[in-house]
Amino acid sequence: MSGVLLALPRVQVRFRPGLALSIALVAFFVIAAIAPSLLTTQDPLKINLGDALQPPSAAHIFGTDQSGRDLYARVVYGARESLFIGLAATALSMSIAFVLGVSAALGNKLTDGAINRFIELLFAFPVLLLSLLFVTVFGAGLTTLIIAVGVGTAPGYARMIRGQVLAVKGSGYVEAAGALGHSYPKVIRRHILPNAMRPLVVLVTLGVGQSIVWASGLAFLGLGVAPPSPEWGALLDAGRTYITEAWWLEVMPGLAIVSFALALTAIGRYVQQRLEGGLQR
Amino acid sequence: MRTPKTLLPLLALVAGLALAACGGSDSSGGNADEFADAKPVNGGTISYGHEQEPPCLIGGWVQQAYIMRQFSDSLVSQVEEGEIVPWLATDWKVSEDQKTWTFTLKDGVKFTDGTPFNAEAVKTNFETWLNPKSLNPTVDAYIGEYYKSSKAIDDTTFELTLTKPYSPLLSALSQGYFGILSPKQLAKGPEANCEQPIGTGPFIVKKWNRGKNIEFVKNPDYNSAPKNAKHQGPAYVDGITWKFLGDQTLRYGSLTSGESNVIYNVPTVNWKDAKGKFQVQQYITPGRPVTFSLNTQQGVFTDKKVRQAFGYAADRKAAVESAFNDVIPYNGNGSLSQSTPDYDESLADAYPYDIAKANQLLDEAGWTEKNADGVRTKGGKTLTAKVVYPAGSVVSAEGVTLLQNVQEQAKEAGFDIKLVPSSPSETFGGKYATPDSYDAITWYWTSPTAGVLYIVWRQNLKDRPNGNNASFYNNPKLEDTIEAANSTQDEAEQQKLYAEAQQLINEEAAAIGIYTQTTSLASQPELRDVWIENSQGEPVFHDAFFAKKQP
Repeated sequence: MSGVLLALPRVQVRFRPGLALSIALVAFFVIAAIAPSLLTTQDPLKINLGDALQPPSAAHIFGTDQSGRDLYARVVYGARESLFIGLAATALSMSIAFVLGVSAALGNKLTDGAINRFIELLFAFPVLLLSLLFVTVFGAGLTTLIIAVGVGTAPGYARMIRGQVLAVKGSGYVEAAGALGHSYPKVIRRHILPNAMRPLVVLVTLGVGQSIVWASGLAFLGLGVAPPSPEWGALLDAGRTYITEAWWLEVMPGLAIVSFALALTAIGRYVQQRLEGGLQR
Repeated sequence: MRTPKTLLPLLALVAGLALAACGGSDSSGGNADEFADAKPVNGGTISYGHEQEPPCLIGGWVQQAYIMRQFSDSLVSQVEEGEIVPWLATDWKVSEDQKTWTFTLKDGVKFTDGTPFNAEAVKTNFETWLNPKSLNPTVDAYIGEYYKSSKAIDDTTFELTLTKPYSPLLSALSQGYFGILSPKQLAKGPEANCEQPIGTGPFIVKKWNRGKNIEFVKNPDYNSAPKNAKHQGPAYVDGITWKFLGDQTLRYGSLTSGESNVIYNVPTVNWKDAKGKFQVQQYITPGRPVTFSLNTQQGVFTDKKVRQAFGYAADRKAAVESAFNDVIPYNGNGSLSQSTPDYDESLADAYPYDIAKANQLLDEAGWTEKNADGVRTKGGKTLTAKVVYPAGSVVSAEGVTLLQNVQEQAKEAGFDIKLVPSSPSETFGGKYATPDSYDAITWYWTSPTAGVLYIVWRQNLKDRPNGNNASFYNNPKLEDTIEAANSTQDEAEQQKLYAEAQQLINEEAAAIGIYTQTTSLASQPELRDVWIENSQGEPVFHDAFFAKKQP
């Protein structure tokens, strides 16, 4: 399995425009999150009441919002919060999923059964409902949003991790390691976990994009971060009222969300293919 | 050569569409005129797109007053000029000492469950409103301190005794909260009346589908319309489907698509469009406007100079006009809305935008240093104010824009404003009700009388709490002034006292005015004679009818 990675340099890498565009987009948003002032000179909070609701133009390439703020600057500055929510929520859901999935797969029948029932119970609630429930109880805000999305998406990952660990656990090389007399903890550490976790790299990449979409959905319902934050979902929520008169308020942040999530997915897919040796076929 | 050929049909299509569009708008304008002198006809069900859904169909929230107006009648009604006209009470008089009110009631009226309407029923209603087990908080806020007893002299004579004179009484009684309900149904307890209240009104609650709509059917025996109604007798339409469409874009879409015949609160961004296509009406609610109530007991706003500086620091007028697309008026007076009787006009432009004055006041108050972010500091503390706003329930999307405008403007003077949205469950669960929970909060209180000042500004004391005093501003002199105004029958004196109270609140900057609580209705051209009553802006459908096109 690990040989696949070593074999990669020998593969002829042909130019893939989709992938290149995806990488460029992700790079753009990462720069926006780290150093937004490199991408725009405008202040995302500066209001200009005389300039409210202006359509896209040379001066404001994404147009202006209901307070006359530059929408492009807001989308760029919003990247930090949106990406942070995506990363933090995915990290949280992966941690929960890891604990649940691994304990279920490696535990005895009773543990496995109990955790499985618990995961099934969580599964009975759609992600959005679970997140909504959480926000309702703990109130809207950045932290709740992260926890809500993190907890909401955890059950799916938990089940995948459990399956992955079980598959590896039953594989020939793990049996062989056991037969060679390695201790069980060592087998877990050396063989099961590393091999079971590799596909998760892909899952994480996909998860970040998905978490941003979920968080935007919650923010769109008014359950996100407080204004005047330019978080992407909050931008969508604020623009909703003006959709008939100012399309750019929905379309521009919407494009940011979609393009970032798509780009991450494309990259994730590519990594997945390479890990599975798909490119050699 | 080829291009023009392919373009030609396209051009023709565009031209055709343009013509069709012109024709469409012309005929819609013509339709409105065509229906103007239409005679009322019976039949049809009104599909009405409303905004917020209350937890019960009766109670003390304006959303409940709207609904109560449909199935119940009050004792009196208030017309635009503030005059009171008969409704369930045909006549009334007050004793020399202003403490005993005698109402003569309409004869031959029945509740829709068959129970006769009489003085005993009115007595039961007063007692139920003020009974702690079934308390109507708004009724209590108006008359709780004044109410002594009620008595049924005979079937059509009801006597109300007060502890002290209260001149806003009739105005208060004209509101939907004071709709008279069937005593037989009231006896079944608050839960039954929450879902299935029964009045004498033009419509009957058939079914409440929570989260969706209320189905009203017409009361075929209705004979108790107020004097200011356009007609007496039963409603023309067969019923109303009162839908809850909280999202304003969706609500307006339901009108343009024809799914709703009439909607509440047109989004301000669509107001111009609505004016051209539909019959629109706007109602500027009297009472307390939407204001910043500044916490005078804890935090940065305990200092009067800081409160005043906050008023001067933002161009509230420009912020309101921009955020509400010039549809909803600015209201500088922080205690009464411009449509309230006895509103003090001289405060219309209170605390105008004056950054120099704001800076000077803050300097005087000792907030002389600024940190790296430009926020003023004093003794290591930043000039940070937590401004809570009930999102959705009080402050609309446009309102949130306005708050952000103010937030950004106040930055220049060195204020750091933190906007905190409060969800409806937090708002009504009382999360923001104590002096430690905010520095400022935005509220309004719809009321047909300046007597609302007593409700809002009566002191909030341990033994006599007043949750409506959101500024936690306790001033016995202010309370006495308002109470004296409430008690006097001399109109000039009353106006003078109410003005004094408004000026005192303004001078103390205990509340800073922002905009008027404003509602609107937009209806399809063929739905005629929907009107907005004057005490609370309740929509009235009793006179409405679907006009037929003249052949």
